[in-house]
Amino acid sequence: MSSRRSRSRQPRVSRISDDQIAGLVSKLQQLIPHNIHTTHSDKVSASRVLQETCNYIRSLHREVDDLSERLSELLQSTDTNSAEADIIRSLFM
Amino acid sequence: DKKQINKAFNSILILLNSFFHSFIFYCYSFVASQHHHHHHFISFFHFYTSHGYITFNLLISSRIEGNIYKMHTSSSNLKREFLKKWVRGLQICCSSKKEMDLQERKKKIKLCADIALASAKNATTSWSNALISEAKKDGENAILVDNLVGPESYFEPTKTAHRTTGNCHRRVRSKKILKKSCNVGQRFKKKMGPPRFDLATYVAKRLVKKRTQVLKRLVPGGEAMDEFSLIKEALDYILSLRVQVDVMRSFANATELLNQSHVSSIVD
Repeated sequence: MSSRRSRSRQPRVSRISDDQIAGLVSKLQQLIPHNIHTTHSDKVSASRVLQETCNYIRSLHREVDDLSERLSELLQSTDTNSAEADIIRSLFM
Repeated sequence: DKKQINKAFNSILILLNSFFHSFIFYCYSFVASQHHHHHHFISFFHFYTSHGYITFNLLISSRIEGNIYKMHTSSSNLKREFLKKWVRGLQICCSSKKEMDLQERKKKIKLCADIALASAKNATTSWSNALISEAKKDGENAILVDNLVGPESYFEPTKTAHRTTGNCHRRVRSKKILKKSCNVGQRFKKKMGPPRFDLATYVAKRLVKKRTQVLKRLVPGGEAMDEFSLIKEALDYILSLRVQVDVMRSFANATELLNQSHVSSIVD
């Protein structure tokens, strides 16, 4: 018990520098869609960037979901007797 | 920063190129004015400088275009690979039953898209490996996965994932003990004097920690990653998701156009 305690008390030196993480965070900031809130874009906090990243990933997931639903509807409603339906069907049915 | 250095370097090259060009012109005109005595020298000089000029130009243009080209080819390659694998996957899973209800077909389309995207990465990223090993767990997907990904075994990544989750739990446990011991100390010190820690930094760190946890759940395989890899993987994951959305959207638009043109041809 005491040995575990002393191990946890040792200073936790991160092998990766803060600068590297800050560089990655700035790259993330460039990827996520710019909105009005990031007007003072020089000093955007890391937590804000992370939050926007999570929101963006969630919105991308939602888009994939919506597109799958749309495609499912489209494929269901294609007429059985048509050249176009044959094209689509030959593609993936 | 790197982009600025690149831009500066490219502009220097352009400047050098223009100087080189004017220098050649000057030399050529100078030599041509005395061409009565220097035939061989002229031809050699002309050949050498024109050759050097051409290669110099090629070097510059390839440098400038190289960066842009590299950016476009990687995403267009991914688009192509993803489309190929997605269509192949749809052929596999939608060919078995003719009549499927809307939700079932939608799930199959989405599953094919996710597996196709992950396998198009060719095991280069951690999130794609995690996604594939997660999909393999469901027995129904085995045929699909094997066809798209190939029969290589992905057991190695899952093993390492489990190992690191073990480490994570140990780290979390020891962190909890550290936190408890810190809080115990601070409860006494608060009444004594000025607070030892900066409240703003403490809150900021807690927020970052909270948001990192959320991000870990969003990126496939993120639970077993350290903060640095998590952000790196999130970057690549976002770019790949964009590719997936773009391709799926164009496909849906094309299908819609086909349907509409058919309907209009019937009306006519």
